Amino acid sequence: MDLTPRSAPEPRSTSRRLLPILVAVLATVAGLVIVVMFLTSSIDYYCNVDEVGVRDGCDDTRRVRVQGSVDEGSLQMRAGNTSFVMSFNGVSLPVDYEGEPGGVFQECIPVVAHGRIVDGVLMATRIEVKHSNEYEAENADRLEEAEKSACS
Amino acid sequence: MKTGTTTTRVLGIFALLITTWVVVSAFFLTPADVVQGDSVRIMYAHVPTAWIAYLAFVTTAVASGLSLVRKHRTLGFDRVAGASAEVGVLFMAMTLITGSLWGRLTWGTFWQWDPRLTTTLFLFVTYVGYLAIRRVDVDPVRRARRSSVIALLAVLEIPLVHFSVVLWRSLHQEASVLNTDGDVRLDDLMLFTLFSGVVAFTLIFVWLVVHRQRLAAMSDVERLVGLDVAITARRAESTVGGGGI
Repeated sequence: MDLTPRSAPEPRSTSRRLLPILVAVLATVAGLVIVVMFLTSSIDYYCNVDEVGVRDGCDDTRRVRVQGSVDEGSLQMRAGNTSFVMSFNGVSLPVDYEGEPGGVFQECIPVVAHGRIVDGVLMATRIEVKHSNEYEAENADRLEEAEKSACS
Repeated sequence: MKTGTTTTRVLGIFALLITTWVVVSAFFLTPADVVQGDSVRIMYAHVPTAWIAYLAFVTTAVASGLSLVRKHRTLGFDRVAGASAEVGVLFMAMTLITGSLWGRLTWGTFWQWDPRLTTTLFLFVTYVGYLAIRRVDVDPVRRARRSSVIALLAVLEIPLVHFSVVLWRSLHQEASVLNTDGDVRLDDLMLFTLFSGVVAFTLIFVWLVVHRQRLAAMSDVERLVGLDVAITARRAESTVGGGGI
């Protein structure tokens, strides 16, 4: 006995068939772009201040991303310009930034500055704050403790 | 047909209650952070969604493995794998969105191609691709086999994402709870609220996966019933026409 259904099941419309294939192709392309970005940007996201001009890939002759802590008392903000000194492992680097850094930027906090070094000053075009993984309640005692210990 | 049962209803109510507690605690009871201020409250959504996304993708991998091994339950396990991946992608999207907002408030930027952010985005895109591949194949058994292999490979990305902040220099901070030295760097109520968030999101995850896989099962049954109807119709025709085997 022939039990084959007389009418074949309705085929899925072309758009319904193509959509998942299109999404899969887009995901593959996006994946490749992400891998390229990872290889060119993510590995060793920054150089520490003491590595500039010393470590391979941290040449001071090209655009760099430098990480260090903002020195206490070095921060100056005037006429939309921000300047400060950042340090790491006892080595310091003056930074000049056209604008006001966002986030929780303040003295004694680690930052990553992007830019070029001109005459020993990092002319930054972007400042990112690199906060710690410690979370403490904001109250008077802790604020005092944090301020005291932040730059120690 | 419904996807809900008494168990799922109880589960849903518990999820709702704990989520309500998390929202109240996160916004009104937990203190602001000494450095980040109120922006730290995003953590109570960001961290649990990331952990639950990991859990979802591991569940997908386990169900996929079982789908390959237990041949007589292949489709059942595959439905769980697919449902879990869908919910995982949803949670991962929430992780990326909340993380981006938190980044803007603390780092000063929505996005940077740093190791943690880049690997997380890669994980998200991988599972979007996985879900797309699942919809390419019409044959459920072939779909189950193909997507199981992808799921078992994709889950290997999770350790890479989690340890990216240790393996490479990252703008993203290291883990405060599941870190390599075992220290917990959170205030007590902050930690309790974060833990409550994990419990709430886990219940929501289970609730969503149960309902989604039951919907998928109904869809499969509907297809089979359609085939049964066609066969019955042909049998009836042959009987009426006096035909035999």
